[in-house]
Formats: sequence, structure tokens, C-alpha cells
Amino acid sequence: MEATIEVRGLRKRFGATVAVDGLSFTVEPGQVTGFVGPNGAGKSTTMRMILGLDRPEHGTALIAGRRYRDLRSPLREIGAMLDASAIHPGRRARNHLLWMAHANGLPASRVDEVIDQVGLASAARRPAGGYSLGMCQRLGIAAALLGDPPVLMLDEPVNGLDPEGIRWIRGLLRSLAAEGRAVLISSHLMSELEGSADHLLVIGRGRLVADTAVRDLLAAASGDRVEVRTDQRREAMEVLTGAGAVVAVTEADALVVSGLPAATIVEVLTGKGVAFRGIAEHRATLEEAYMDLTRDAVEFRALAEETS
Amino acid sequence: MTSTVTPYRSRVDGARAGFARLARAEWTKFVTVPRWMITVGAAVLLSVLVSGLVSTGMGENTSDDGGGGPPPVSADPLEPFQDRGHFVGLPRSGDVDLIARVDSQTGGGDWAKAGLMIRGATEPGSLYAAIAVTPGNGVVLRSGTDVDIAGSGAGAPTWLRLTRSGDKITALESADGVSWTGVGTVELDGLGDDVLAGLFVAAPDEVVVTRQFGTESISGNTAYTTAAFDDVTVSGTGTSDWIEREHPSGPAAQDDTTGYTVSGGVYTVTGSGDLGPDMFSPDSTRMVLNTTLIGLCAMIALAVLFITAEYRRGMIRTTFMVSPSRTRVLLAKTAVIGTVGFATGLVSALGSFLAAKAGTDGLALPDLFAWPVVRAIVGSGVLLAAAAILALALGSLIRRSAIAIAVALLALLVPQMVASGLPLAAANWLERLSPAAGFAIQQTVPRYDTAIGPEAGIAVLCAYAAVATGFALWSLKRRDA
Repeated sequence: MEATIEVRGLRKRFGATVAVDGLSFTVEPGQVTGFVGPNGAGKSTTMRMILGLDRPEHGTALIAGRRYRDLRSPLREIGAMLDASAIHPGRRARNHLLWMAHANGLPASRVDEVIDQVGLASAARRPAGGYSLGMCQRLGIAAALLGDPPVLMLDEPVNGLDPEGIRWIRGLLRSLAAEGRAVLISSHLMSELEGSADHLLVIGRGRLVADTAVRDLLAAASGDRVEVRTDQRREAMEVLTGAGAVVAVTEADALVVSGLPAATIVEVLTGKGVAFRGIAEHRATLEEAYMDLTRDAVEFRALAEETS
Repeated sequence: MTSTVTPYRSRVDGARAGFARLARAEWTKFVTVPRWMITVGAAVLLSVLVSGLVSTGMGENTSDDGGGGPPPVSADPLEPFQDRGHFVGLPRSGDVDLIARVDSQTGGGDWAKAGLMIRGATEPGSLYAAIAVTPGNGVVLRSGTDVDIAGSGAGAPTWLRLTRSGDKITALESADGVSWTGVGTVELDGLGDDVLAGLFVAAPDEVVVTRQFGTESISGNTAYTTAAFDDVTVSGTGTSDWIEREHPSGPAAQDDTTGYTVSGGVYTVTGSGDLGPDMFSPDSTRMVLNTTLIGLCAMIALAVLFITAEYRRGMIRTTFMVSPSRTRVLLAKTAVIGTVGFATGLVSALGSFLAAKAGTDGLALPDLFAWPVVRAIVGSGVLLAAAAILALALGSLIRRSAIAIAVALLALLVPQMVASGLPLAAANWLERLSPAAGFAIQQTVPRYDTAIGPEAGIAVLCAYAAVATGFALWSLKRRDA
């Protein structure tokens, strides 16, 4: 069975609040999947249900085709970090990993390996109570890696890391995915996933809003827009509008052109003798794409509520 | 995209999260929190130190127990026995046949005794055998601290007889002095050739126990009994100089109300003080082991924290991720906290006992290897283990440290505190039915206020622990982590 997380029709209610409402998705191996949504959207609840910690009202969650409670040695199947600060402050970091290793029959040498891997070697014999948030994150990731699992699930792993730490974790996640593992990371900030996620699961109010490859999402958000840099802004705008394009000024020397392919733009500008310094396809940021997406989702929901 | 990916497989060896592995994991969790280990060590040390200090003070007090009268007779603190009462006898060598008729008996209550006794010496605690008639309980044969044989239900007047042949003493009774019925035979090993044979009366004190929270005061109102004997024959070799041994029981005993007179072959003997088990002697071992309460309170807090600390920080989720079987997790925790509790109880009880034994002059402590002492010391381990398991289960059910610790402490300590302020009957039921019954395992001496036997008492606490664990397991499976 492939290393995947499969969620089918998952539903969970806390009292009158529906936290997760009919959620279905598959986390594929070999890529980093981002699980995005605002705070309270149901990300952590979903993760807890995947790990068998919360009991779903309806639906199933499978890891490599099996329910969590049927895993023999769970740390070797899935590594998870839910809350990096969930460690006893009086216990040394190394001992925290050691009891986990004992429980799943993992060799104690593995503890030192993951400590080195996350760069905690110098702090591993200090009580975890004195750890910064970033160090706690590293310890949590070490715990997730302990069983060398084919599936990783990290709740807000970037939270609290310094820029150097963020770069480190992006590289780590990419290399883990490149080894063929399924990696699911959650975030409430789309920008945190920029440069690390290949695939996105967008969740809002417990429902799946989008399940899409990052590449496709960005292409859709970018449209066929082209960015032109020129010192002759006025001339360029006249020429391009005359050729049928829609032009928007973004900076003093930059225009965003839509409605014409890049090759035609170059042709038109050179033909009319307008000088330009650069021409490039406009790339939307993930944040822009996300805003488009959630705007649509909100509109869709509003519409659906009106018609129903 | 997925088709191009080679599925990843863990390269690390692992094994099923079975009970033994989880127990090892939970053990690692416990011993790697330094403050928990320090707490255990400090509790043990403190109980030993306190025990060593307090026992000296207890010795001073208990030497005064019973007022100005002689100390309890039995040398063995585990079998407190009083050999009191009023005895008048003749010295005899070799075999003896002692016969008398108890003509009348007045005063002293249902357990007042009037009868015959053969004893090795006048000193309290010497070898003896006695047959007596009582107003309310018929004829009894007593010897040592343990022989207590009932004869017929007859009261005075009745004929009694003791015959000595070597070390064997046979007791008989008769309604008419002609046909005799055997009550029993006792063998007094080491009874010398020379004995005293004669008449005795004894009456247990009327005891008034005043119990206030935490303290109790026992005041004895001396009870007197008077019996008239006639047809007294003491056959055998010896003089006819009567030897009297009076043994008033307490400060209230008045000399002018005891004594004996002989008039026309009728011996009238008056006396006080009892012959039989002393239900009021202090349980010195239990007093010394009281300091295990320190360890008990520490273990309750640790056992609760052992699970609530995980709930508080969300670490319980890591625990259940590592082992999806929550039943197994709680059982592993139970095993670990039970082991720690047992070791703490055993070491602190043993240390307390030895410290008290080494540090005291006045307090009479029994031999370490006497069964009731072994039972009390090992039982203290079981007591702390069961209390810790109960506390762990409460922690698992309640999930909040402060509340769970409070509930566990209340369940174990309040019955004891409240009991000392309640009437004896109510206190006894509270001590039988509440988890505090477990403290009974530290009893080494049966006392007037013994509510429940040691084994039964600890069984009550263990039952509470088992039921609470059952509830905890049930609830753990149903609730979200």
C-alpha cells in the first residue's frame, strides 16, 4: 500500500459547533501537501481524527490503507507533530524521545540520529522547559521523524521559527517528500507555504474549499498576464491598448498586460519603436491566489445560501 | 504524479507497542522527571527521620499509659495481655489437685472471673492455667495469651477443678462436686516443679473512651468483683502459707476494696484487673508506621500528575499516538505507578520501623520478623501502591491535577480524621467501607477500636482502586484525547 493519508466524509461536532463537515481528500506520497485555512477551520481537529485521538462522528481516515488504531508500530507508519510545546518541562529532550522509542521498540541509537538531524545535539540534555518555541518545533519534528515513517503530518511546523529555521524546514520537507514520503503540513498563513508546498488543501469552516496543485493554482491566478518594464510607460500603454490589450500600471516603470501573449507584445513594442527593459510572465503570489480562491468560496457560499 | 513515486518504507526496526514496551516507556517517563524522583526520595527520607524523632517522644508517653499501675504484662507487644486480678495461692511442688466451689460472685460485669489458677510464679506474665466462672459467659479456661476455651454455660455456684500432672494441667467443672466434666487440658512447657495453686478473681475495667478529632483518651473505671469460695482443697506437697498477689489495674483502684478474708472455710476474695487480651494497649508498630502518610500523600500527588501533567500539556496525545491502545497505556501507567508506590511504601515503612527501633528507649517495638510486623511493613507497600493506582485512575477520569489530588486525598484521609470525632460504631463503619480501610494493614495488635482486619482492610482499598481503574479505562476509550 502506498504511503498516503485518505480521508473520506469526515465529520466532527463539538456540541453545537460543526468543526469538520464532510471532509474528503487524499494526501499523495512524493510531495508536500499544504493544509491551509484560517484558525478554527478544522485543520487540527482533522489531524486528531486521522491519528485516532478524536472520534469522528462520521467518516473514516486511513493511513496507508489502515485505521490508526490498527497500526502495529505507529511511529514507523506516520510521524506527527500536533503541538510542539506538548512536552513535560522537567524532562530532558533526549529522554522525551527515548520513551517514545521504547514504546515502539525503536533502537535508542535512532534518538541520537534524529537529534542530530534537527540540529538539537547541543541542547538535547537540557530540560525541555528551557526551550524556545523554535527549539520545541525542532524537537517535535525529531519526534515525528523518530520511526523514519513514510507519512509525515505536521501541524503549523513553521510557526515560531526564525528565518534560518524556516529555510531549514522548507529544505527538510522538500527532501523528505523527494524520498517518496507523503508530507502534510498545516498553516493558517498561505505565505508560510510559499516555496514548500506542491499541493494544497484549502479548508474553511470545516469544508474543503480547494484541492489543487500549487502550480495550477498559481497559473489560474496569474492568468495570461505579462509584466513589462519600460521607461516609456505612456507610449507603451498607447501602443498596447491599440493592439487590443488591457493594461494596468503597477509601478512607475512597470505595466501588467493581459489579453496578448508575450511574443505578440514584444513584436508590437519593437514594431512601434518603444524601448523596454524587461518582459516576463506575471507570477501571482500564493497569497494572491489564496485570496482569489477564498473570495470565490465566500461568494459561492453566499450564493448557495441565497438560493437554498 | 504519484505513479512516478517509489513508495517509501521505514528503514528503522520497530516492534508492536505491546504492554512490556509501554511499561518500559512509562517507566522512562517517570524516572526522567527529576523533580518526581526527588519527591519520592524526600518522602521516604522524611518519613524515616520523623519516625526516628517521634518514636522517642511516644516512648515517654506510653510508659505512663495505664497511670501509676504496673505496665501491661505481656512482654510481646504484638500480643498485649494483662495478667492482673487478685490471686491467693499455696506453694506446691510436683503434682497438684485443686478443687473449690464458687459459691457466689458479685460485681464486675459479664466478664468478671472467679475461679482457680495454677501459676509458675507471682510475677505477671509467668506461666499459668486458670479456670473461672463468669456471670455472663459461663465457664472459661485460659492459659497463656492464646488459650481461651469455653466450658458449660453455668454460673456460680459451681464446682471447679484443676489438676496438674507434670507440665499438663487439666481443667474440669461440675455441678455437684461428684461427677466432673473436662473443660480442656493445657500443656505449660517449662513449668517448674514449684508452682502456686489457688483462687483468683479478675474483672475487666469499665472503659470510658473519649474521642476527639485526632486524639483519644481512655480512662478506666476500675471494676471490682467479689467471690466466695468454699470446699477449697489444695492437695499436693507444700506449706499452708497463703501467698497473695494483688494487682489493681489502675490509678482508681483502692486498696481497701480488695483483699481476702477467710471465715469458717469460706474464702472471700475481692479484686480488680483482668486476665486476658489487653484491647487498649497501644499499637506501637502502627504508630511508628504512621509516618508512611508522608509517602502516601507524595505518591497520590505523583500518581495524579503522572497522567494529568500529560493532559495539561497535550502530551497525552503523543502518548496515544505512540500507542493507539489506550487500555494498554493506562495499564502500563498503573503498573509503573504501582511499582513506585510499593517500593516507596516498603522502604519508608521499613526505614521508619528500624529508625524507631534504633532511636527509642521507652517504646516497646516487636521483632522485625514477626508476621504482623512483616505484614504491616510489606502491607504499607501495598497500601501506597493501591492508593497510587486509585489516584492515577482518578487523575485519568478527572484530568485536572488539583481536583484529582484533592479528591484522592479526601477519599483516603478524611475518613480517618472524621472517624476519630464520631461515635465508635459509626467510625468503625466508615473505616470499613471507605478507601481508608486500607490503613488497617498497618495494624499489628487487635484493639477495642479495630474496625476491620488487616487483610480485609487492604482488600477494600484494592477494590476501590480496581473499580476506579475500570471506570477510567471505560471512559478513556470513549472520550476524545
